[in-house]
Amino acid sequence: MGQAGVLRRAACLISPELSGQNVTTRQNEFEEIAMPHSRSLLRVARRLAFDSATAEDLVQETLLCGWRNFNQFQRGTNARAWLFRILFNAFYARGRKIRSGPVLLPLQSPGREAEPQSRAASSLLDSAAVTRALEELSPEHRTVLLLAVVEGFTCREVAEILSLPIGTVMSRLSRARQALRDRIAPAAPKLCRARANAE
Amino acid sequence: MSRNGNIMNCSEIAELTPLYLSLELDRDRAAAFDAHLKSCPSCMRELERQARLDAELREVVAGEPVDTASVDRRVRERIAAESEGSSWLAPLHRRWVIVAIGAAAALLIVAVGYRGLLGSRVAPVYAAAALDHRREVVQNEPRHWKVDPSAVAALAESQGIPVSAPAALSSGAYRLERAKLCFLDGRIFLHLVYSDGTQEFSVYLRQRGAESLPGRTRETDNGRVLHTSDSGSEHVASFQTDGLTVMVVTDQSADTALHFARFAAATL
Repeated sequence: MGQAGVLRRAACLISPELSGQNVTTRQNEFEEIAMPHSRSLLRVARRLAFDSATAEDLVQETLLCGWRNFNQFQRGTNARAWLFRILFNAFYARGRKIRSGPVLLPLQSPGREAEPQSRAASSLLDSAAVTRALEELSPEHRTVLLLAVVEGFTCREVAEILSLPIGTVMSRLSRARQALRDRIAPAAPKLCRARANAE
Repeated sequence: MSRNGNIMNCSEIAELTPLYLSLELDRDRAAAFDAHLKSCPSCMRELERQARLDAELREVVAGEPVDTASVDRRVRERIAAESEGSSWLAPLHRRWVIVAIGAAAALLIVAVGYRGLLGSRVAPVYAAAALDHRREVVQNEPRHWKVDPSAVAALAESQGIPVSAPAALSSGAYRLERAKLCFLDGRIFLHLVYSDGTQEFSVYLRQRGAESLPGRTRETDNGRVLHTSDSGSEHVASFQTDGLTVMVVTDQSADTALHFARFAAATL
């Protein structure tokens, strides 16, 4: 990966000064290529960090690091994977450990938007069970599930983002899926049975 | 065939399942994987359970509200400030602010649209198809698509779909562009994208099971009952043949979705 050296830096250096025209072009490109991924980055960062403020700081740091090194980003390659690798490098560079304790989210917390109406009322329990099970997973398992399943990265991309061998990602992903299922099954046996019957 | 050119066993299937679900297996290994699934109900059930769990996890986590307005604003301000330091052209800075505001407005529109998508009373499979179309066709997120006709036919065959079906749906200006497998509401669908060079729409196919299609019954064509549903800014038209479940999804118009569904109902 050509950008690996850049991404391994703990600190992001500002690239050489650009002319005004180049700055504007680069800003437009960054807006188009990188900024649309802030939502994905924040979604994952919230489950890495201890609180939402830290998660937002992490995403801000990631995007600014991406901006400062944007001249080294290879156009046409996967910008989202590139940004996620920066995110994880920034996180580890902070010396933080991934949140390992369960966080129980109330079903109807203030400020939380209503659940999609397409999910029936009975599914709310299911959502809570899935969320709780995800939070209870080990940080390693939670991370690969978030990247591979929720964010849709391939195993190879996850391996590059986390700097792991692909075999490790595959085995970790298999164990993570099994661990998640083990936690969900006893939490919502009625739903599981109902679904099994419906199949 | 497996890595050794032999039929895969259950242990290899378990090991390679992550690559299968992320569509990273090469053609030969995917074919061997599919062949094993056809002959091993236990592995098939296990794969379907994993796929359903993935779909559930994705829906729950990806459906959580994420407000990036604050962090986006701070990033843009910092970038603008740093750029101002390296640029002496104030008018361009103002232009950047305009671009940022425009982009923020666009993001807001997308966010509102997304909330509308989630908040509407839409069948889960239609909502999943609409979201998949938006992410992977409209927003063109990078995925591993099959473009070679023989590879597309192999994908269809692996799902028990007639190999001629993808090409048969190419009509007039619209041509088959690419294909991949995807999971919608816990079930595997063949996702086909057709394009006339400027507009694209999606067709989702799967071997018909015991499921019935939700949505408003619109009309009957060629003996097939057509259903329509809107999900956010996407329009879905669906029907079933004796052997297939078919969904057409487009962000163009409900009439476009219905028009192509009529053609598909007459063709398949």
